Amino acid sequence: MTARGDRILGLGLFVLAIAYGWAAQQWPEPFGGAETVGPETFPTILSVVLALSSVYLIVKPDPDAHWPAGRTAAEILLSIAILVIYAALLEPLGFVIATTVAVGTLCWRMGARPKPALVTGFVSAVVVFVLFNNLLELSLPGGLLEFE
Amino acid sequence: METLQFLMDGFAVALAPQNLMFALFGAFIGTLIGALPGLGPANGVAILIPLAFTLGLPPETAMILLTSVYAGAMYGGRISSILLNIPGDEPAMMTCLDGYPMARNGKAAEALAMSAIASFAGSLIGTIGLILLAPALARFALTFGPAEYFALFMLAFATLGGITGKNPMKTVLAATIGIMISTVGIDIATGTQRYTFGVLKLYEGIDFILAIVGLFAISELLFFIEERAGAGRKIIKVGKLTLKPKEVLAALPTMFRGGVLGFIAGVLPGAGASLGSFISYTLEKQYLGKKGHFGEGDPRGVAAPEAGNNGASSGALVPMLTLGVPGSGTTAVLLAMLISLNVTPGPLMFTQNADIVWGVIAALLIGNVILLFLNIPLVGFFVKLLSVPPMYLLPMVTMVAFVGIYSISHSAFDLYFMIAFGVAGYVLRKLEIPMVPIILGLLLGPEMEKNLGHALVLSDGEWSTLWATPLALGLWIVAGLGLTLPYIIGPLLRRRMQAAIKESPVSD
Repeated sequence: MTARGDRILGLGLFVLAIAYGWAAQQWPEPFGGAETVGPETFPTILSVVLALSSVYLIVKPDPDAHWPAGRTAAEILLSIAILVIYAALLEPLGFVIATTVAVGTLCWRMGARPKPALVTGFVSAVVVFVLFNNLLELSLPGGLLEFE
Repeated sequence: METLQFLMDGFAVALAPQNLMFALFGAFIGTLIGALPGLGPANGVAILIPLAFTLGLPPETAMILLTSVYAGAMYGGRISSILLNIPGDEPAMMTCLDGYPMARNGKAAEALAMSAIASFAGSLIGTIGLILLAPALARFALTFGPAEYFALFMLAFATLGGITGKNPMKTVLAATIGIMISTVGIDIATGTQRYTFGVLKLYEGIDFILAIVGLFAISELLFFIEERAGAGRKIIKVGKLTLKPKEVLAALPTMFRGGVLGFIAGVLPGAGASLGSFISYTLEKQYLGKKGHFGEGDPRGVAAPEAGNNGASSGALVPMLTLGVPGSGTTAVLLAMLISLNVTPGPLMFTQNADIVWGVIAALLIGNVILLFLNIPLVGFFVKLLSVPPMYLLPMVTMVAFVGIYSISHSAFDLYFMIAFGVAGYVLRKLEIPMVPIILGLLLGPEMEKNLGHALVLSDGEWSTLWATPLALGLWIVAGLGLTLPYIIGPLLRRRMQAAIKESPVSD
């Protein structure tokens, strides 16, 4: 059994701990002079704890989990991409259009057929939009569908 | 009776029409959240936090809403245990053992009704325990100084991995990462900028709500995609209810024992509802011995874990409300809500925010009555919703999470942050790094630093002050035990849980 996952994580966190601890030592002395407890005290302790526990992880890693490969990995990356695009297009396109596309695509990629997936996206988008803008009076972006 | 007076005031708060309405709404949504697999209570409450915020609810109403969701989720977890043999949330695992066999024997309706009554009994016992114990503990906690608090936080982290936790070192790692994230921003004591990299958005720190929603909701979506569990599973038909009062009466002692055991397990830091339901089930099985037919669909086998699970969920509120130290993931999320509402959790809350504390406690009592009545007639409706496959459900849940986070600050930047936390959460969960200590670290980090600072200023920089008093030393010792005991007891307990599940002949 391999244990690469934990080792890589341990290594990454070790580097993080060093960088985090080092950065804490660079801060200027606070106004009013140094005291026993400065802004760097607590972060320094944390970096030591993290460094020690990440070394433990490198030395005694747990066996690896099953990582997705091939198509599954691609599906996951695709979903993350959908989420990022959704966040980016929410304001320019407006809530209803962006949500219809995002929820629709996600439903479809999770196994629904394209048509019901798109309908689900559209209906849920309209319901949430109306609920928020009219009943709860929180404005979601109207985007392209906004008529003045 | 001072407590009684407070409780009456609490009822006055909880019975205000707006609060009552939100309690009802919360109970309903909570049951739904608990019932749907893949939407655990912590996750569900986390998604609702930004919504409660943007609605501009007053603090007591927001807390009543979320507490009702919490109580409702504990009720809902049993529905999918019984009908699908998949626990809706972790504590509902033990309910599968007898609930699913009962459903297979055509007694699904009976199992659902029995478990609703047991949930009610357990919650009632737990809430009464909370009313009796919490004020006393709060008074005791007033004697805590900064050193004791620091030790208490260590204790909370140490025991959080729980007795069932796997690798204690990973709990330490997770907690440290959480606290580290909480140090980003301007230091409150000195005004030094820490880890902001000059990004204006980071000056005020990383909002823990978007971290929580990302870590829970987004990572859950990714897990479902990986497991291709989009289609869901077939559920058992629910027949007509033919539960006789005699059967309920026969199970009453079981419910009572389960509720008390559950409450005790819930109060203990880190033990939580899963242990509550496990202990209640196993002890009841041993107590009844040959008189029961546990594992083959004994109604008492449904009653015991459900009473335990709900007793524990009320018990878990005790350390959260009195000490500001939550013992479980969901109570950690409730704590997040309190902090965001600018309420300082801890013993002073009982005097300074009495209306919130007692309003919440009264709302728990009212919520339970609502839940009992909601759950028996409406069970058919919940079952219908349960058959909505996750492939439609999870994208919608994700969308609601987006809406919630977006409505806090109306910036896409927060959404990117949430997605990043979601991806990180997925990777960390894959590596079996627990999420709850990260969240707790995020929440308690600033308090820890503040108390450390105070303790050291008081002692003129003498570090030994942290364990100078007997109380603080005691807390450190328990914390040490909490971290090392899982090494010894953990594998044993996990084996027994597995064995208990394998023993039941029909669970396949």
